Amino acid sequence: MRLLHVLAVAMSLCVVTHALAQQGGTLTLYSGRSKTLVEPLIQQFEEASGVDVQVRFGPDAQHIATLQEEGAASPADVFWANTAGALAAASNAGLLTKLPQDVLDKPAAFVPSSGLWTPVTTRFRVLAFNTRAVKESDLPESVLDLPKLTQLKGRIGWTPTYSSFQDFITAMRIEHGDAKAKEWLRAMQALEPKAYPSNPPMIEALAAGEVDVVLTNHYYIIRWRAAHEAQKDTVQAYHFAPDDVGNLALVTGAGVLRRGGQNPAAMRFVEFLLSKQAQEFAAERGHEYPVVPGATLPDRLMPLDAALKLGPDLDLERLRELEGTLTLLREVGLQ
Amino acid sequence: MTPAGSSPDGARGGLSAAWKWGAIPAAAVVSGVFAPILYLVLRAAEADPSEVLQFVFRPRHFWLLWNTLVLSVGVLVVGALIATPLAWLTTRSDLPGKPILTVLAVLPLAIPGYVMAYALLALTGPTGVVAQFTGLVIPRPSGYTGALIALSLYLYPYLFLNLQAALRAADPSIEESARALGCNAWGAFFRVTLPQLRPAMQSASLMVLLHVLSDFGVVSLMRYETFSYALYLLTTTSFDRVYSSWVALIMLAMAAAILVAEARLLRGLRVHRTARGTPRSGQMAELGFWWGPIWAALVVLAMVAVVLPVVAITYWTTQGPLSEWRELLRALGASLQASIPAAVLAPVLALPLVYVSVRQPSRVSRFMERIAYFGYATPPLAFGLAVTFFAIGFEQLLARLGIKQGATPWLYQTLLMLVLAYTIHFMAEAVGPIRAALYQAPPRLSESARALGYGPMASFLRVTLPLIRPGLLAAVALVFLSAMKELPLTLMLAPNDFQTLAMGVWDKTREALFAEAAPFALLIVAVSFCFVVVLLTAERPQVAAAPGPAAAPEREAATPPAEGDGDASLGLAPAS
Repeated sequence: MRLLHVLAVAMSLCVVTHALAQQGGTLTLYSGRSKTLVEPLIQQFEEASGVDVQVRFGPDAQHIATLQEEGAASPADVFWANTAGALAAASNAGLLTKLPQDVLDKPAAFVPSSGLWTPVTTRFRVLAFNTRAVKESDLPESVLDLPKLTQLKGRIGWTPTYSSFQDFITAMRIEHGDAKAKEWLRAMQALEPKAYPSNPPMIEALAAGEVDVVLTNHYYIIRWRAAHEAQKDTVQAYHFAPDDVGNLALVTGAGVLRRGGQNPAAMRFVEFLLSKQAQEFAAERGHEYPVVPGATLPDRLMPLDAALKLGPDLDLERLRELEGTLTLLREVGLQ
Repeated sequence: MTPAGSSPDGARGGLSAAWKWGAIPAAAVVSGVFAPILYLVLRAAEADPSEVLQFVFRPRHFWLLWNTLVLSVGVLVVGALIATPLAWLTTRSDLPGKPILTVLAVLPLAIPGYVMAYALLALTGPTGVVAQFTGLVIPRPSGYTGALIALSLYLYPYLFLNLQAALRAADPSIEESARALGCNAWGAFFRVTLPQLRPAMQSASLMVLLHVLSDFGVVSLMRYETFSYALYLLTTTSFDRVYSSWVALIMLAMAAAILVAEARLLRGLRVHRTARGTPRSGQMAELGFWWGPIWAALVVLAMVAVVLPVVAITYWTTQGPLSEWRELLRALGASLQASIPAAVLAPVLALPLVYVSVRQPSRVSRFMERIAYFGYATPPLAFGLAVTFFAIGFEQLLARLGIKQGATPWLYQTLLMLVLAYTIHFMAEAVGPIRAALYQAPPRLSESARALGYGPMASFLRVTLPLIRPGLLAAVALVFLSAMKELPLTLMLAPNDFQTLAMGVWDKTREALFAEAAPFALLIVAVSFCFVVVLLTAERPQVAAAPGPAAAPEREAATPPAEGDGDASLGLAPAS
């Protein structure tokens, strides 16, 4: 019984504090981005705007399913997604409202033709190499030529079950066709790459000399280098030539949901995400690249205009065509 | 054992009362369980009929079916091979250190399956912790073997707990009669003791099978494709609710098949004593010099199942900056807030259902009890979406009827909704131990109480309840432990700005921040450890029951009250 009392008091306290916090309006945010990376930013917005932000963290797919189930009764105003594929699915399902042109004009790249969501930050696929074992000049212009480096047999690391790797294969299928993607996977397999369950142990293995090059995301390298100041130059990032599919941009973004169309705080929040403050925070905290020009970047990131030219020019919404990729990976025995 | 026969006389009035008391929980459970199924059927009906057949019967599904079956059977066999000797050793042998052993045997329950799997992956392989420290490369478990090892280590405590409780409650005089009639020790064990363990074994096996069927954390980390993994891939890759509903329905059909099979095996089973008098504890088998090797084997088991995962999490904790302790404490509070009410509510709702189905077995009552398992077998994603669907409908109904003003929801995305979802989902965890306890509580005792003039409720409270107390406690513990670890439902249904420990682990590991995730995982394990220890100490009188002819103290509570020894406070006692 005592427990029930405590619960009752706790719950009524929640209701009261909730009511008190509503002065600047409230905003319900469904975030596919992790709490760890974005919570301080949300607090900054709350302080600056007086808006009480209610957040739900969860995987993108769960939010989309929930939003569809909630329908018109959805309490959510903004969907902030971890992948462009999820935003594409949300706009396909008619969950998003169109953003005003002045918002869409802010990002320098990756704005979808639908105008239903805006990119917020981006990460890049990248090749990391051990500087003691490999010379940068020996590395190929295109990821498609990576299998030609037969001297790297048994010295390549990858993460075939990791979602960013799968996005990369999807992009390869879109750019070069299924047959070419399959051929590339087979050729890579001939070099007997080592498969890792996730990126951080793979980078460790790279630094330890277990492999010489690995296919990864750019921020894992930065994180490792930040944690290993003394030996940080052992591991370096290599970007393929601009527009190569090996540099695929992994874009995060946000859209205003139908209910949010009536809530002024929703648009304020999306504009805040594109503000200099928020863009610089993402670079500082998550080592992600801003999409709006003018942000000051830490030294460990490359200049923004160069970075934004790296990725291949493809319709990012097509990254939701993951099913074919999984079938392909299954066919070659990687899934 | 008596053969199946007509139900004992004298309890009829009590049974109809039980039906009355059972009606409310039954209605709650049935609607809670059927809502998701109804939801799935509604969604599935949106599919194009011509494509459905093709989709449901595609070759890949037969392959998944095979994978799922092989894994389920494997886990059951390995789990039973670990649990049965452990249960026997801790109840029927003179092995030293039995209380410690019992705790060690139950502890894997405190370790979430995904932590177990991740620890196995992190420890092994050329880059693993073991290789780094000793140079010894243990092949990294993956696929079938990996999933089998991780799931068996994680699930055998279900079998162990049930078997141990059953062995403790089993009446040794039946065994002794068998021995007196010329059976040797092994014969008595296989022909008398094991059959007595059947209800316990079966309800535990049910949990294990249903768990393997719905497990996602372990099979995804081990990359072994079962139906639940396929369901996950389907929802994340195509964001498709219609065809994922079909996969969920296939999984439910498998669960239904398992449930029907188990119910058939249980029909007509009665294993309680029918004789007069009080059962006593059995003789302890003397292990002699065998206790050394047995302990050595058990230490190895404990190392792999408990110590290594805990060491792995602790190691990660020391590798990074300790997460902010306030965030940790808040998450702990959130976990407890959601888990404790569910751990109390689920057994309370399960008790009447199980009571009716054990004491008045009929098609309807058995069906009601089985129903509880469906909640467990429904894939969490489908379950969560169904709760969303109906809770939203409920809010809209309230608003339309003018009962509710304003947009603040009463149920949707509240703590209450999460607790109710846990309760329905984990009720099956409560059914098993309660059922096993009730099967072994002789109805003759409560009948005597009735004959002596107690009302049905009073005889239940005074006689049956004390008898099944260990089963009830086990039920509370199992639901609590499961709720503490639960992730997919929590992610979907928790209130906004509500982060449990499991959500904390998830949030950090998805950013590959293992060091920052570790304290959250460590706290789940620590709280669960404490809970397991407290629980087992609460049951201590039984564990410590001295061998010999003296009646165990628990049993004394079960003797019917003497005439006139009425409980006036209940107002149900007869005037003498």
